[in-house]
Amino acid sequence: MAKESFDKEIQFLRMLMLTSGAYNRQQFAERLGISVHTFDKTTRRLKDIAAATSSQSNAEALDLLDAVRHTYYETTDPILLFLFRAKSLKESESTRISIILEVLHEQTMTAVELMDVCSSVMPAELSMPDEKTIRSDLKYLEAVGAIRKESTTRPYRYRLHNDLLRELSEDELTDLFDFVNVMANTQVPSVQGYLLQDGLKKQLKHILPEDNSFVDSFLYKYHYHSRILDEVHLFTLLRAIRDRRRVQFLYFTPKAEKSYTAQQTNPLFERQGAGKQLKTFPLKIVYDHQYGRWYLLGMDREGIRKFRMEGMTHIEEAEAVSEEVYERKTVELMEKLKTSWLIDTGKPIKVRARFYNPSSGEQHNFIKHRVLLQGQWGEIVEEDEESFIYVISVNGIYEIKPWLRSFGSSCEVLEPRQLRHEMIEEWKELHAYYESI
Amino acid sequence: MNPFEKIFNYQLLTRLEDTGTFVVTAHERSWLKTMLEHPEANEAFTANTLLKLKQMLSTDIFMDTSEYLIEKARSQEKHVYHPLLRPLRRLISDRKGMKISFIVKDGRKNVEQRGFPYKLEYSMVKREWYLLWFHMRHRAFMSTKIDQITSFSEQPISPETAEQILEKLSLIQHARKTEVYIEVVRDYNQELSRIMYAFSCFEKAVDYDEEQDKYHVRIRLLRDEYEFLLSKIRFLGKRVRVIKGDYLKKRMLEASTKTLARYGIEAMQPEPIES
Repeated sequence: MAKESFDKEIQFLRMLMLTSGAYNRQQFAERLGISVHTFDKTTRRLKDIAAATSSQSNAEALDLLDAVRHTYYETTDPILLFLFRAKSLKESESTRISIILEVLHEQTMTAVELMDVCSSVMPAELSMPDEKTIRSDLKYLEAVGAIRKESTTRPYRYRLHNDLLRELSEDELTDLFDFVNVMANTQVPSVQGYLLQDGLKKQLKHILPEDNSFVDSFLYKYHYHSRILDEVHLFTLLRAIRDRRRVQFLYFTPKAEKSYTAQQTNPLFERQGAGKQLKTFPLKIVYDHQYGRWYLLGMDREGIRKFRMEGMTHIEEAEAVSEEVYERKTVELMEKLKTSWLIDTGKPIKVRARFYNPSSGEQHNFIKHRVLLQGQWGEIVEEDEESFIYVISVNGIYEIKPWLRSFGSSCEVLEPRQLRHEMIEEWKELHAYYESI
Repeated sequence: MNPFEKIFNYQLLTRLEDTGTFVVTAHERSWLKTMLEHPEANEAFTANTLLKLKQMLSTDIFMDTSEYLIEKARSQEKHVYHPLLRPLRRLISDRKGMKISFIVKDGRKNVEQRGFPYKLEYSMVKREWYLLWFHMRHRAFMSTKIDQITSFSEQPISPETAEQILEKLSLIQHARKTEVYIEVVRDYNQELSRIMYAFSCFEKAVDYDEEQDKYHVRIRLLRDEYEFLLSKIRFLGKRVRVIKGDYLKKRMLEASTKTLARYGIEAMQPEPIES
């Protein structure tokens, strides 16, 4: 079987999440570059997975859009996690593996013993496993760390590798659940943390008495839920960087109309050429907290290259590059990144801005607090009763501009002149938007 | 480490769940092992539990993301795991009441107020923890920075009272939400992805008018979230325009007038806003 790719599902969910109901089937399919038929098929498949993994009781009637709609206060379960449950599995395989795991949960067993158990409990309509199949299952389960060998001599006895769930008290499990919940929600990467959280929650629900409904005690305000979609590529790219290998991929710039294209199923898409086949030598991955987006930074003959991870599909490793080249390019890139607000590697420019303190009625100087919190490496150089001056040397003015503008009338750009001028022009236009209200 | 593994498959998961078999993979253990290295992990566990966890994970490998992963535009982090999270979370899950002392913004002290805590909330923007609780005497829902709590102690509360408060809370949360409409200015449709990302942290729905090629973002939010939404709207600048939500519109007019005044440009003065 060809390697299963989830590019379509990822683009599908991202679009669903970001445009929340804006498009009808036709429009949605068109923008993804797929047929309406494929759209329907993908919807059904994702819906099935979402329903099967949902903790809601009315999961059967679940609308896919409702499933990804973000309702703060109701849950901190990562709403897009179900995507990572999408790897397909034949029914005989999922039955067999679940039997193996269930049995190893209770006791240790050898491959031959497991084969006997499987043969006796597997439904008659499914094909009976042979010893080779069982051994390859065990090999897989051991490789992903779900089981481990109990003995060092043959025949090996296996057992479930889930001490984390079994050897902690209820109280300790609660602490662990909380820690995993907090770290998965506040740090990157988070997918593995969310998967662990899911397991811990189920285990806790299982062991706690029924009247003790386990409560999620934490909420996270202003969370970018779609960020976990790009973590799909994270480990593929990290491995390529670690192995010092180039990667090739089909790239859709975020400004392109289509964000996915079925590979070789319809030549029409290729003719339109929405995606570009590219190759680069990956060096660093950047997570941008401002928008909750991921970037890959690489280098090739044209110099530093930047790619939005959401636009990368069909990623594959290519030829290796020498350690010496890797070192040299990384140093060069890091030097340039030192003064980038996000990923701009242009020339550093000195930006000076005056921030005005809140009116004297306010005890708490929330403006200064926010500048210190979010102003990265910039410094406050002058201060009086009314205001303070913030200075930063930053690559280009475009990445820092939205941040400065978000302060509204509490921020006046002093330098450079161009930024000051652009700010004035933009505020004039904004004023015109609202003048007539 | 491929996050798409057979072992995470949903059918397999459902089967295992039915029999109470729970599996932990090397992926998850590696992640946990890495996170446990965070200095604030000490606040999350007793020393004994932490030691036990580290021993259990001794044969697992660290996830070596830090060498190649850079985080940008990140707010400074004061506390990921505040020491009060553990005891407060237990009050919440045990549905206990409390007496709480804390300092308010202007420095005044509130001493031994009776309350019912119901959630701990982390602001991803301010990077700060808050305790959400019900003030018994004032009959008000409160949000107090955990850092400002000077002491608290457990108090009994009847299950009926706790239930009533939680019911009232869910009613209020729905009733108090208002809806505002924001239009994506058509010239910036090219930047739709970026604009939608910026709003993706809100509860929202989007309408698309194909004929006019126009997008409207409908955001449902509580009044106390307006400030944050306003900062997002200013952040996006000319790309978006508030079309429904009088208060927001007035605030944007006021901001633009005042900002232009900072630059020495007199725009028409808006009428003062009543909040």
